[in-house]
Amino acid sequence: MHICPRCESNRSEVVSHSPVKDAWEVLLCPVCLFTWRTSEPDSITDPAKYKSAFKVNPKDIPNAAHVPPIPERL
Amino acid sequence: MAYKDFRDFLNTLEKEGQLLTISDEVKPEPDLAAANKALSNLGDKTPALFFNNIYGYTDARIAMNVMGSWPNHALMMGMPKNTPLKEQFFEFARRYEQFPVPVKREETAPFHEVEITEDINLFDILPLFRLNQGDGGFYLDKAILVSRDLDDPDTYGKQNVGLYRMQVKGKNRLGIQPVPQHDIAIHIRQAEERGENLKVAIALGCEPVITTAASTPLLYDQSEYEMAGAIQGEPYRVVKAKDADLDLPWGAEVILEGEVLAGEREYEGPFGEFTGHYSGGRAMPVIQINRVYHRKQPIFEHLYIGMPWTETDYMIGVNTSVPLFQQLKDAFPNEIVAVNAMYTHGLVAIISTKTRYGGFAKAVGMRALTTPHGLGYCKLVIVVDEGVDPFNLPQVMWALSTKLHPKHDAVIVPGLSILPLDPGSDPAGMTHKMILDATTPVAPDIRGHYSQPLDSPLGVAEWEKKLSQMLR
Ligand SMILES: [Zn+2]
Repeated sequence: MHICPRCESNRSEVVSHSPVKDAWEVLLCPVCLFTWRTSEPDSITDPAKYKSAFKVNPKDIPNAAHVPPIPERL
Repeated sequence: MAYKDFRDFLNTLEKEGQLLTISDEVKPEPDLAAANKALSNLGDKTPALFFNNIYGYTDARIAMNVMGSWPNHALMMGMPKNTPLKEQFFEFARRYEQFPVPVKREETAPFHEVEITEDINLFDILPLFRLNQGDGGFYLDKAILVSRDLDDPDTYGKQNVGLYRMQVKGKNRLGIQPVPQHDIAIHIRQAEERGENLKVAIALGCEPVITTAASTPLLYDQSEYEMAGAIQGEPYRVVKAKDADLDLPWGAEVILEGEVLAGEREYEGPFGEFTGHYSGGRAMPVIQINRVYHRKQPIFEHLYIGMPWTETDYMIGVNTSVPLFQQLKDAFPNEIVAVNAMYTHGLVAIISTKTRYGGFAKAVGMRALTTPHGLGYCKLVIVVDEGVDPFNLPQVMWALSTKLHPKHDAVIVPGLSILPLDPGSDPAGMTHKMILDATTPVAPDIRGHYSQPLDSPLGVAEWEKKLSQMLR
């Protein structure tokens, strides 16, 4: 389990390992769907250094606007 | 002249000195995006980039900026690489009028070499990477997506081939942004009204002609494949998808087949967009991928998008201008000379026209606002005289500085539609629009002192010829 740098949930999981052994892993947060590679700069991978303007509060996610809205069933 | 496939075009770029291979090891982030952004800063004649040594990968190969300059755009059309932009525009317009050219059907394609239907993991199959620092993830942003109209599946032109940003959000899941002005939004609505999933196919690493057609604002019932045929001057080759009645580009490197899940919305974004701003995070439809096939050692094509100008702007410059040109010519066949809608996908459009009578140029501007592309773009329309080259910005600035009287010539039309990604729209999708009439007033509009336009000294044309020969 890893901390998501964007929404800080602790549920992120590895979705890919580098073909060259131990170079990096790709992680995916199931809460905010953020994806990152462990070899990225720490402004991306470190929750404390992730840009505040791009932080996501998990509570806001269910309220995100639907684009496009789901139409009525005919 | 058709390119056989993506590799054929890359070979042409290499022969023409328009492909730069980077064999030094690069990090997937931030090097790939940084190199491309840096390249975009180096002018409008840059080569494509080919990366073959990417940290952590064994055999990933990534091509970028494939159409990111005017020489590469000219080569896409099979023209000499130094063809001036205005000439590319008029040649594109000429070929556009050859539409439709029916497709050529094939039974098999090179991408059938490797097929995956179990345990699909796009993060393993594709060398994905982040572009801009605030992006919510890794994106496919130069893939074409094919879907059909469910009400009228037999009308060929209503099969849509479009370019949409898609975020990879799971091993076999993509998020897609369907802007309401775009055709995919119609197909998704049709499917969701029925409670059905919408079958789609995605092609990566295509010859540039289908990417160009897919990013051209064609009318809803015009086929992008038949337009690709018109642009390349011979029938475009397609092959059927396996899980749906959809046509795929024969020359693609990778194909993903799947379906848009009816009624599902999932958090997507932000993504650094062509407007030079990030889109916000919003809940968008989801595509589940059920089948992947690809060539052995596929070349992954990707596009850097962000603060203009980037490859996007070269890719959608001429092909956005030409449909507007044709639609304006439909209304005013004897007057319209040329259209430059290259700025931020046509949020700004410059129209060169003759004027029949006072007020005519403003009518041309208003017509631009009501064209299909104008409904979502054309926030600022500048109208100039027939003698002003709309692709020559110093000339356009001269027209603005000398022909325009703000009291009479700046027209604001309130409350019109615009694509929601316009960061200035408020609420998103709504804006005022402006027409700037920088044409010379003609009767009965008798404003200004325009009876003594500057002429050239006699013999300039002869001297131009003579001097250009001496300078060779
Ligand atoms: Zn998260």
